[in-house]
Amino acid sequence: METSGNENLSQTQTKWRKVAYGGMQLGFDDNHTDDSFLEEMVMNANVVKRDMLKVMLDSVSISQYLCIVSLVVLVWAHTLGSTFNENSLLLLDITLLGSGFFVLLLTAEMLSFHLLLNYVLKISYFITGLYALSPIYHTLTRSISSDTIWALTTSLVILHLFLHNYAGSTVKAPGALDKPTLSSNISLNSSIVASLLIASRLPSRLHVFAIVLFSLQVFLFAPLVTYCIKKYSFRLHLGFSFGLMAVTLGFVYRFDGLVFVVLLGVLVFVNLVCPWWLIRIQEYKFEINGPWDEAKLCFNITD
Amino acid sequence: MTEQRRHRILMVSDFFYPNFGGVENHIYYLSQCLLKLGHKVVVMTHAYGNRSGVRYMTGGLKVYYIPWKPFLMQNTLPTFYGTLSIIRTILIREKISLIHGHQAFSTLCHEALMHGRTMGYKVVFTDHSLYGFADVGSIHMNKVLQFTLADVTEAICVSHTSKENTVLRSGLPPEKVFVIPNAVDTAMFKPAPQKLGSDEIIIVVISRLVYRKGADLLVEIIPEVCRLYPNVRFIVGGDGPKRVRLEEMREKHSLQDRVDMLGAVPHAKVRSVLISGHIFLNSSLTEAFCIAILEAASCGLLTVSTRVGGVPEVLPDDMVVLAKPDPSDMVQAIEKAIRILPQIDPQAMHLRMKKLYSWHDVAKRTEIVYDRALRCSNQDLLERLSRYLTCGAWAGKLFCFVMIIDFLLWRLLQLWQPDVDIEVVPDIMHFRHGDPPEDFNKDNS
Repeated sequence: METSGNENLSQTQTKWRKVAYGGMQLGFDDNHTDDSFLEEMVMNANVVKRDMLKVMLDSVSISQYLCIVSLVVLVWAHTLGSTFNENSLLLLDITLLGSGFFVLLLTAEMLSFHLLLNYVLKISYFITGLYALSPIYHTLTRSISSDTIWALTTSLVILHLFLHNYAGSTVKAPGALDKPTLSSNISLNSSIVASLLIASRLPSRLHVFAIVLFSLQVFLFAPLVTYCIKKYSFRLHLGFSFGLMAVTLGFVYRFDGLVFVVLLGVLVFVNLVCPWWLIRIQEYKFEINGPWDEAKLCFNITD
Repeated sequence: MTEQRRHRILMVSDFFYPNFGGVENHIYYLSQCLLKLGHKVVVMTHAYGNRSGVRYMTGGLKVYYIPWKPFLMQNTLPTFYGTLSIIRTILIREKISLIHGHQAFSTLCHEALMHGRTMGYKVVFTDHSLYGFADVGSIHMNKVLQFTLADVTEAICVSHTSKENTVLRSGLPPEKVFVIPNAVDTAMFKPAPQKLGSDEIIIVVISRLVYRKGADLLVEIIPEVCRLYPNVRFIVGGDGPKRVRLEEMREKHSLQDRVDMLGAVPHAKVRSVLISGHIFLNSSLTEAFCIAILEAASCGLLTVSTRVGGVPEVLPDDMVVLAKPDPSDMVQAIEKAIRILPQIDPQAMHLRMKKLYSWHDVAKRTEIVYDRALRCSNQDLLERLSRYLTCGAWAGKLFCFVMIIDFLLWRLLQLWQPDVDIEVVPDIMHFRHGDPPEDFNKDNS
């Protein structure tokens, strides 16, 4: 009696198997959920744990670039308001060019004499071309009203800031591995168009040449220079950024009080509020992996 | 003897004949077996080219090709309320009791289930594929699925891995999901009458040549296997964007006489291609349930496959050799398959497959799900809306809004075109040879 009872017990206790063949499994419904359900699920396998200080230090490169762009816009405003004349602008251009080369010489790793000569040659072509084309830029937007110009410039600068590649440099630095992406190209183009639009509102051709040279110098080469500084020494990069921020805030304060408050607010937001916010919402990250994932090929497909 | 309740089922999907594929075959075979069990089945899908209107298929299967053209990847345009009127008409005309939708990727299915719930019908949903969680398309698809399954009566998945995936994607309680696998028509896929000679080993590959089905793995595996085994030949059937890469591989390694590229193989000829080989190779990178493997096993071929998704559950371990989706692992698996090939008897394998998989078994298990679904209580609009609110902070309210509009539109339609004005289709019993004539007056409600 006991043995037959035991036999019956073991019959209904046939183990449930995770298989699809053989029809309905004996003693189990089709919606039976075994204890091994979701056993192979892996959660948050690739998530990086972020450190607050590191994120704040990384956000310094964003605020550094913001300061550079606000300095450029400040120079535009001063030129349009006739505070700067063309000679001081030209002096500014040459100073910037010289100091840029100087910094590059000091900090870039793979700079050979041949490469430097290459750079100098390209820059002289560039400057000559700009000088020759400045009459065209001078009369480019004569038929467009000023309001349109200001609106367009503002939106293009904001677009430029949004799509800018803050991590690397669009102009490829010697030894850099990043390829320029589509969004970084769009941002560069929008900044160039904005500077041309501003230049077309200026009184003389020399003004136009000076301001276009200044803007293009900064937009094309400032990311390169800051990238080289950052790679050379992080402390130098931090010092340079904080110095730049102080200088920018000082100049903007002298220009306009409201703009100063806005800029200060934006810098505080980018440097302090955003890192805290990012780390706070990291807890909600829920990455799911399991046997249902599409398999990744471990070799590269060469066409 | 319990009385069989005769169900009246509407199968809805964007994917049906004249297309061929896993979902299409599933719907067709399931409908045929349910008809044999005595239920009434009607299929609804979109128009294919000129094929629009009502058609009848084998066994009296009625198919409504509603006059909506597909707009993207065989799916109809998702207008939320556009199909309400025609679905209501079909449901009332055929006196449907239950709606069964197939495939998460089908917009017609989602719309039909939504309207079905508004009108108070019970709905069942079957999911046939696996989806990810991380890319933009999957995130949207999963949200839509969450909406549809928030109020579904029962859900069916084709494998246990697919059940885990569906439960994670939609947030359904696992007890609501039934696992009923696909099956294979063993009468159609019979092995060759005579066993093939073993001096030359032929490996068959039949699949769409796309990235998802592992065509790039094939490009790496085939030259290696041909180098190691001089007596192995490959037959590759199927077409797709990666066919060019395979042709290039063939040229580069001069394997023109050892690799046959057949191009697209029509469904009727698949068996003849399969029985000309010894081993079936499946290299897909993701599969919820691989019917191709079942067809190959039914024809007596030994299968070599990648261990992805639901494939490990499909066949017993002595009928399949599994490997990681990595070229060297796959080559080792093919070596093992070639070694154990002499022990394989195609006829014995076919007889085993007949016992392991059968569409009649699938239909019986689906009938149990239908019985359960019809036993569930009816719910009014307010109770159902509370289920939608759990879908998310913003999404829940949006879904509730959508359902309220649907309800109002339905009431409006009822006023404009009352239920009694829609003509009901009379039941036609189909004779089969050898069956005694049915009594038309026997009432099956």
